[in-house]
Amino acid sequence: MSAHADTPALVRLTPGRSQGFRTLLQTELKLFVREPILLFWGLAFPVVLLLVLGVAGPKQPERALGDVKFIVVYTPVVMMLMLTVLSLSALPAALASYRDKGYLRRLSTTPVGALRLLAAQIVIDLALEAVAVVLILVIARFAFSVPLPQQFGGFLLAIALTISAMLGFGVVIAAVAPSQRVAAGIGSLLLFPLMFFAGLWVPQAEMGSGLRDVSHFTPLGAAAPAVQNAIAGHWPGSVHLLVLAAYAVVLCALAVRFFRWDR
Amino acid sequence: MTSTLTRENGQGPAEVVSIERLRVRYGDTLAVDNVSLSINRGEIFGILGPNGAGKTTTVECVGGLRRPDEGQIRVLGLEVPRHRKKLRTQVGIQLQASELPDKLRVGEAVDLFASFYRDAREPDELLERLGLEDKRQTRFVNLSGGQRQRLSIALALVGRPQLAILDELTTGLDPGARRETWKLIEGVRDQGVTVILVTHFMEEAEYLCDRVALLHHGRVIAVDTPAGLASGAGQRLSFRPRGALDPAALRALPGVSAVRSEDGRIEVAGGGDLVAAVMELLVSRGVVPLETRLEQSSLEDAFMQMTAGADAEALEGDAR
Repeated sequence: MSAHADTPALVRLTPGRSQGFRTLLQTELKLFVREPILLFWGLAFPVVLLLVLGVAGPKQPERALGDVKFIVVYTPVVMMLMLTVLSLSALPAALASYRDKGYLRRLSTTPVGALRLLAAQIVIDLALEAVAVVLILVIARFAFSVPLPQQFGGFLLAIALTISAMLGFGVVIAAVAPSQRVAAGIGSLLLFPLMFFAGLWVPQAEMGSGLRDVSHFTPLGAAAPAVQNAIAGHWPGSVHLLVLAAYAVVLCALAVRFFRWDR
Repeated sequence: MTSTLTRENGQGPAEVVSIERLRVRYGDTLAVDNVSLSINRGEIFGILGPNGAGKTTTVECVGGLRRPDEGQIRVLGLEVPRHRKKLRTQVGIQLQASELPDKLRVGEAVDLFASFYRDAREPDELLERLGLEDKRQTRFVNLSGGQRQRLSIALALVGRPQLAILDELTTGLDPGARRETWKLIEGVRDQGVTVILVTHFMEEAEYLCDRVALLHHGRVIAVDTPAGLASGAGQRLSFRPRGALDPAALRALPGVSAVRSEDGRIEVAGGGDLVAAVMELLVSRGVVPLETRLEQSSLEDAFMQMTAGADAEALEGDAR
């Protein structure tokens, strides 16, 4: 009768939940790979952007950029772009669609529960973002001689805080958006101001001092110089780290408070 | 496992679900109003009623998806929603209007849900029984309504639940697929699984259910076997009279509940000795009945009568 009639009792007694989570993770990864548009904007486009900036941008250190090379300024900015697309577009769209479809509700009636689907989504996002960060560091190092982070501890801390803040932001968007479309729209709209302050269009060094001060109090505007400092071998500024930590704490708390499992 | 053995021998406590004085409010309206039901091991229990009767809300409370405002629910001896997590391994739920991710394939969905349970059914065998074996590679978004429905049933049954809650089981299925699904559910019941079936198809309830509860405006208006309910609604006798006959004379007969005449045909509905009473009247008036037909009332007739009766009572109550 039983599908596992011939497996030893011990095997049958292993909890179904960890097995269930692994399968859930694999399934979510497959589903993610089936969305080529996310892979394009999240991974391929930023890599191409980095290559274009590195090849076409000025090669010598520039006084206007604080005597550092153009590509050194843009490496953390491109990194921020990847993290933002993955956290703010991919994650909320997936979560909002799962909620709208009643899939979260359906999973909540199984032993695995809907929380593990959220966990699987976040694990996948974290893994992709780690890959994205390493990819950018390696390309910048070997194609354009940008040094690997000299202050590695500070770099990890800054990246970890940035990712926490952005993932929290993504879940908050999924929570407030009434539908998948709106979630994706909010994510894309927020991308522009966030990336503006990170210095995608105007490097922070070239912003007026007032604008620069404002940008340092936005999540990515704090993250970009923090990462740039760590790459250059300095501990990130404590104001940048505190701003990032505050965003991470507040956004994650809001995410936990407002996330809805049900339509 | 011993629990499996006792389960399949049909032992253990007879009552699988007990609902006592359940009340659920949506804002000002009482969606479920004082519902009490007891469902036994190994039966297919139907919850019938028109849209908005509170059927889905009731089973959502049993499944731990909704918190009741008042009342007590026990499933397999455990209180709901307090022990809903423990019950997740033993209760399989097919939700109304619940979809899967668009690009998830049928095979992947069944394998995924199978991985949630320790002693899951064999996915291939289940897909074959539901006629989905050719669809393993098909994405959810490309399935027809009926195929989605069957997949949803597969996912509710894959964990070998002791209690299966199926909401609008065959909505959207063609008649052939509907019959197939009914057979599958009977097979599941024969393995000792208790089934709660929410439906508004009387034919489905008549075919499948061991007992049914009729819900109307959030209240239980009857609980019985489908045959028991139908027989309560009596019979229908129809004929074409040769000779003059005043329908009022028929209405005056004992046991007659309704008389309709249409296109020269007269239909008399009622219980008791309906046929004898009508025939006696016809003979005494010298009327010959032609093309006589006698029908047993169906569950649907019973349902219509009871809901109409409940509405009339409510009206009277309002008038008072």
